[in-house]
Amino acid sequence: MVIPPLRRKALRDLRRLWAQALAIGLVLAAGVATLILGNGAHRALSDTRDRYYADYRFADLFSDVVRAPLALVDDIRAIDGVIQVEPRIVKLARPEIAGLAEPASVLLVSLPAQLGLNQLHLRKGRLPQPGTANEAVVSQDFATAHGLQTGTRLTVVMNGKRRALSITGIALSPEFIYALGPGEMMPDARRFGVVWLPRPALEQAFDLKGTFSNLVLRLAPGMPEQRVIAALDRITAPFGGGGATGRGDQLSHAFLDAELKQLGAMVKVLPPIFLLVAAMLVHMTLSRLITLEREQIGLLKAIGYTPRQIAGHYLEFVLLIAAGGILVGFAAGAWLGAGLAQLYARFFSFPFLVFGTDPRVYGLAALVTALAATAGALQSLRSVLALPPAVAMAPPAPADYRGRRPGVFRAIPMRQTGRMVARHLWHWPIRTASSVLGMAMAVAILVASLWSFGSIDHMIHVTFGLAERQDAKMVFTTPEPMRAVADLRHMPGVMVAEPFRIIPAKLVNGPRSKRVAVEGRPADARLSRVLSPDLRPMPMPDTGLILSEALAEALALRSGDRVEVRFLDGRRSVVNLPVSGISVGFMGLGATMELSALSRAAGEGALISGANLMLDATAAPDFFAAAAAAPKTGFLNVTDLTVSRFRATLAENITLMITVYVTLAAIIAMGVVYNFSRIALSEQGRELASLRVLGFTRTEVASVILLELAVVVLLAQPLGWLIGHGIGLAMVAAFSSDLYRVPFVMGREVYATASLIVLGAAVLSALAIRGRIDRLDLIAVLKTRE
Amino acid sequence: MSHATTVIEARGLTKTYRNGAAEVRALQDVDFAAQQGEFVVVLGPSGSGKSTFLNILGGIDRATSGAVLFAGQDITTFNEQALTRYRRDHVGFVFQFYNLVPSLTALENVALVTEIAANPMRPEEALDIVGLSARHGHFPAQLSGGEQQRVAIARAIAKRPDLLFCDEPTGALDSATGVLVLEALVEANRSTGATTLIITHNAGIQQIADRTLRFADGRIVDELRNATRKRPDQVSW
Repeated sequence: MVIPPLRRKALRDLRRLWAQALAIGLVLAAGVATLILGNGAHRALSDTRDRYYADYRFADLFSDVVRAPLALVDDIRAIDGVIQVEPRIVKLARPEIAGLAEPASVLLVSLPAQLGLNQLHLRKGRLPQPGTANEAVVSQDFATAHGLQTGTRLTVVMNGKRRALSITGIALSPEFIYALGPGEMMPDARRFGVVWLPRPALEQAFDLKGTFSNLVLRLAPGMPEQRVIAALDRITAPFGGGGATGRGDQLSHAFLDAELKQLGAMVKVLPPIFLLVAAMLVHMTLSRLITLEREQIGLLKAIGYTPRQIAGHYLEFVLLIAAGGILVGFAAGAWLGAGLAQLYARFFSFPFLVFGTDPRVYGLAALVTALAATAGALQSLRSVLALPPAVAMAPPAPADYRGRRPGVFRAIPMRQTGRMVARHLWHWPIRTASSVLGMAMAVAILVASLWSFGSIDHMIHVTFGLAERQDAKMVFTTPEPMRAVADLRHMPGVMVAEPFRIIPAKLVNGPRSKRVAVEGRPADARLSRVLSPDLRPMPMPDTGLILSEALAEALALRSGDRVEVRFLDGRRSVVNLPVSGISVGFMGLGATMELSALSRAAGEGALISGANLMLDATAAPDFFAAAAAAPKTGFLNVTDLTVSRFRATLAENITLMITVYVTLAAIIAMGVVYNFSRIALSEQGRELASLRVLGFTRTEVASVILLELAVVVLLAQPLGWLIGHGIGLAMVAAFSSDLYRVPFVMGREVYATASLIVLGAAVLSALAIRGRIDRLDLIAVLKTRE
Repeated sequence: MSHATTVIEARGLTKTYRNGAAEVRALQDVDFAAQQGEFVVVLGPSGSGKSTFLNILGGIDRATSGAVLFAGQDITTFNEQALTRYRRDHVGFVFQFYNLVPSLTALENVALVTEIAANPMRPEEALDIVGLSARHGHFPAQLSGGEQQRVAIARAIAKRPDLLFCDEPTGALDSATGVLVLEALVEANRSTGATTLIITHNAGIQQIADRTLRFADGRIVDELRNATRKRPDQVSW
């Protein structure tokens, strides 16, 4: 096969300019990979969740009651839009696990009927025999955390009685993808698990024969859930129900949704910016590279090639680079995306992973990239092709430095080499601006990738350092009278105990409503505090509510407004209360009141749900042992464990994604800086070689080009910080959900780190360029024209 | 000239390039000496070795063998740093294509060199010698080819070089402009006392020199001394 000479030239040019082509290709690959991997991982997880929900018949509505007769199920099934009802018994119990200091809890759930809702995915073993009272299936994470196998026994204290359960299987459930213990902010598989038992076993243990304590429903597709919830609440209210929720408020789903939303935000905000930055850089770089080919283009024209053939040749050249970058980007993106999705899938305990590729994402990435490269090449080709061959082959006339007030530099005392740099930058404002912008974008994408670490630290500092300062939070099985605090204070290791009351309620403001847990606390609470947006402790108002920023926003309420509170527990009173203040809060929707004010509003006596505790660290094991033995203990949240779970969870999610992004951003930064310096060297190589002939040392000559690079890099920093700040703000907006509000904390160290990475890239490029300056061909300068 | 001192001397200068399998002998055993202030024209066809000769004397190319003695030192033994120092302090270059820095004015282009030279003249003085006093503030783009070349000459002599090497200084110019450039070179040679070597294709130019060398096939094949030197405006092109 005969290779046409122009194709041979394109291939040889590629080999000649391999370092630059590689840098451009890597920038492109990084841009493409970001788009592919983010979208791929997000799509895989969304698809997997959807399949999981569909295959295992995940319910649409969830409702707790105290105790309702099974006969009620027929009434519920008759509600318009309900296609399946599953009455269940769901109860909290305490497992006895040797070696676990802090008391744990398990949620006992009656096994779904065959073809019932929220089916289990058995990982090991079998389901219990329907009639048995002592066989159980255990959730996988809990089993793994405690080394529970099929055939082993688990002792659980149910309704005050110890029962030994034989584990017949290990399972996953779409209902507990995110298995969050009661009152916990983060999943902790050691201290919370789910145990499924045949219904008769639970009926017997909790004295619930012929009744149910929980309902899950499936709705007809497209059925508005609000109408069904209203009808359901009317039916269940007499039985202690009335707080039915849709999937949106189902804990596991809501957390998973928040996670996917965050991932989606990272996918939607950052990668397009990466890709655009890469495209912009490639556009600029290739356009300048082609400009340097001026003489060769003139020559090709002179020997008879048509402009179309010449354009074709250079397009082939740039598309070879682009295609290389795109293919590497595809491969890297698909590989990283699959890896990321697998890690997430493991974290979420999905039974399988659906990994489909979206050809549109690939197509878009390839198209944007190829267009940017082509446009960059065509732009300069057009101007060069417009020249008659003789003119193109002749050196371009010396750049005219009149105009643009070159005189401003005459007045400033500086060395002539400094003047050269200043005038060069000043004279080509668009080129200088685009170089500065390119570097600034490299800084910006780093800033945008790095900011979240500081935000997470801030979140932890505010939530656990300033607001929730208790060592442990004890929640009783049922509300207790106020004197229960005194008992707590007498437990070993307890130094301070501050009571609290939690009553579920629906807050309504016109068409907006939110289900929240209203928390009552003493006016002088010092362990768990409510903080104002400027992070100062807020005094508890006499009657009103303090809402977290997220809740106030969701309900469109401001301080001074009034809100309707429909309590969903006890006497189910409905009151209208003033909003007395807005508090800061990054996790969940918070509504707080003074303890006695809450009791009055709910129409109940002085009851408490539990207490926040400060413990004597040396006596903590004694306390945990006593708490585990105390019949009132419903569950116990341990702050240290929550913080470490919080960090671990975020480390596994955000950190992983960000690390990938930072790496890709660093590659882009390197590519940008190297290309800018290489092109600057090509453009000024002749001048620099002339200086060498005139007796300038290598260092003096290098300093000319390095000074220019330094000026551009330095100018780019503040601009990059500014742009990165803006991208960060956009990401915060995209991150926010009811469960999380990510504070926007942009520490100076973020700017510093981003700048250091880009400066590091600049120094490496400078070293590479320095080598080329040392090898400048002095004689060629005398012989060749410009 | 007989009492004048030898400024630069080449002994057995040989330069061999390897061009693929072929060996190209650009210079073959060239001996040469020039006196202080001497004005030498180097003639010869393309590829005869004259540019290689000048480049080695000027310290921007290296000989394969032989010696170049300047002020008692053999510059062929110099390392890169010493060669840079040699060019910086002792050699002025003028190129066919001027090689001015477009972002610097005429005066600043000259100042580029005076800033780093050991004993320079004022840049204005150098421009005065080449007759460009009125064009200090002009950028290269505002100057004609001849004017640009005269700025290049001013830049080359501003350091008060011992040696002034010019490779085809009039090669890109018309005859009228070429005369102006040659006049500038003659004046530069006279006023600075720099030993001047000019490479040219134009045989007419030899009449303005003290001495003419003719190169062919890497050797000096002819040497001619002019009894009287013509003025550049008397030379026919």
